[in-house]
Amino acid sequence: MTKVYVGMSGGVDSSLTAALLVEQGYEVTGVYMKNWTQDLPGLKCPWADDLADAKRVAVQLGIDFEVFDFENEYKQKVVEYMIDEYKLGRTPNPDIMCNQEVKFRLFLDAALAHGADMIATGHYARVQDGILQLASDANKDQTYFLYRVTKEALDKTLFPLGEYSKPEVRKMAEERNLYTAAKKDSQGICFVGQIGIRDFLRQYVDPEPGDIIDKQTGKKLGRHDGAIFYTLGQRHGLDIGGGLPYYVVGKDMASGEVYVTRDLNDDSLWRKTIELSSVHWIGREAPDGRYQVRIRHRAPLVGAELKAGTLVLDEPQRAVTAGQSIVVYDGEECLGGGIVGFAPSR
Amino acid sequence: MTVYLDHAAATPMDPEVTKAMLPYFSDAFFNPSSPYAPAVTVRRDYDAAKVRIAAILGAQAGELTMTAGATESVNLAFAAGSGHVVTTVIEHQAVLAAADRSDNTKVAVDAHGRVDPEVIRNALQPDTWLVSVGLANNEIGTVQPLAKIAEVIRQERAKRRDEGNGQPIYLHTDASQGVGQIDINVARLGVDLLTMNAAKIYGPKQVGLLYAERGVNLTPQIVGGGQEQGRRSGTENVAGVIGMAEALARADAARKTETRRLFDLRNSLLSTLEAAFPEMVVSGHPKHRLSGHLHVSFPGIDAERLVFGLETKGVLVATGSACAANKGTRSHVLTAIGLAPDVADGSLRLSLGKSTNADSIAYAADAIIEVVGKEMRRVNR
Repeated sequence: MTKVYVGMSGGVDSSLTAALLVEQGYEVTGVYMKNWTQDLPGLKCPWADDLADAKRVAVQLGIDFEVFDFENEYKQKVVEYMIDEYKLGRTPNPDIMCNQEVKFRLFLDAALAHGADMIATGHYARVQDGILQLASDANKDQTYFLYRVTKEALDKTLFPLGEYSKPEVRKMAEERNLYTAAKKDSQGICFVGQIGIRDFLRQYVDPEPGDIIDKQTGKKLGRHDGAIFYTLGQRHGLDIGGGLPYYVVGKDMASGEVYVTRDLNDDSLWRKTIELSSVHWIGREAPDGRYQVRIRHRAPLVGAELKAGTLVLDEPQRAVTAGQSIVVYDGEECLGGGIVGFAPSR
Repeated sequence: MTVYLDHAAATPMDPEVTKAMLPYFSDAFFNPSSPYAPAVTVRRDYDAAKVRIAAILGAQAGELTMTAGATESVNLAFAAGSGHVVTTVIEHQAVLAAADRSDNTKVAVDAHGRVDPEVIRNALQPDTWLVSVGLANNEIGTVQPLAKIAEVIRQERAKRRDEGNGQPIYLHTDASQGVGQIDINVARLGVDLLTMNAAKIYGPKQVGLLYAERGVNLTPQIVGGGQEQGRRSGTENVAGVIGMAEALARADAARKTETRRLFDLRNSLLSTLEAAFPEMVVSGHPKHRLSGHLHVSFPGIDAERLVFGLETKGVLVATGSACAANKGTRSHVLTAIGLAPDVADGSLRLSLGKSTNADSIAYAADAIIEVVGKEMRRVNR
């Protein structure tokens, strides 16, 4: 019997994942990955409740259950990476890093060492013949977060939810009377979702206040509490009231200046040519040619031309932000992608 | 069907207790220290409630300090002197932590969790000022030979008189788990200080008291307006104390019949489970044990899985110890009575109460047999 270790977060998706695998005849072990346990201002970290919920479902299913402690590794590989990126003025995606480093590396290795043949997670994605494919539910598709996973890891991974829509998953969880069937969804990096990146970063960095400059006039409009908190295209939180809204179009981490504009058509808000760094291809390296790409989770797929590591989008896209990922698709197949660098002329 | 078997952790408020309390949240909301007539009435009701409680304890109302629960009472008791204290290794965390603030000796207990009064005697030092032994253990239900320990204290006092040692020595008991099942008359128990709360006897949470006989000089831990004869400042929790008096009166009146009833129900549950699981380990003293208490262990089984499995069937039970379980650490009580780790980790505490009857016990027994059986098959496959 194939032994599968399922990452169980205590949410409905991974709960149903485990249930489906049991029904499909796998020998299933549930694993709670203990990645983060710290309380933050205004947030009681729910890890103990989540762990208990995951275990409740494991008991319901009559499967073995274990806790893998990745707290130190998560802090090093995900949180420190995230903070470093923000310090450099970029906007990182910690969920992508978590999949790359924790779920599909540490968890996989630990599971195999415990005797597993495969792992499974509750991601909305499909794998066919070692190829990562879009989930059936285009609205829930999570391949954007998975593009940095290796082919070797995918060969040992099951995504049982890839064929289902979120409403179907809820319904199936209810039909099975799973304890977590009605539980509210949480974000991948739950603490950021709950308290906001601003309050989170404050725990780790001493932000330097600086000037807010109108890019068109060069005039100083006011002060901000730290350039690190501002990201391209951002409209809210500038505290410069009156008239049309301003948008962040750039920042200088050295001088601490944040540049804003009222011009929705400002060049820096729109990008067409993007050089990718830290490129990762899952299986085959994508040859130059035409593809569809996604510039953020749940953004629609848009046409693009790949040429020597540079993407030329068919249409300019708004707020393509340094540090974020662009993921490349060929039809249903997720080929991989890379990280957006700073726009060349700022 | 919901079967609640965790009365040692919390009890639902008796509707009559709620009813007695309600006026003091609204019409009779006055501050008992205010001078006008309606407030004076509230003051009288408050004082009368304390007299009612004191009568059951066989004490004077002036010897009671009302607190916000047993933990506060324990803290107040342990602050009443300085020097060496003696307690046992199986006390509640409140007592252990309070004892650790001074020089202390925690004496061992036997495999049933009972402390030998002679062991207490041997632990006494010339500067020992407090001996604190819980009336009944919250995890395994073992009842301590408090009267015999009180006798040891009396003999120590006589010895000190003969030796010209002027150091007073007092006996404190945390009676929170025993109230309603054991006579808590302080003279018969032989204690100088007694802690109890209302939450375990179908009264409100965050209401407790410390009885301290007149000779004990309490050092207030909360200072301010001088309420409770200066021993515990803060506007009186009138509704809470009224509720505690009502709850205690009811618990005391029902004590003998209820103890007998729970004893029979508990034993029926025990014999059903013993028949189903010959390998089951039962902890606590076979005879000197709270009658509504049952602590059982299933070696090699993860108790938390049993709790979760039972919860889906509507049966609510505790793992070996609620406090210890939340921290993910093994119970100090079970370690102290010598349970092996794989036995301790498979422990359930089943505590019966007013809502328990023959039907609910039968239902719970079936559920436990099913859930434990399922886990045993999983572990052994």
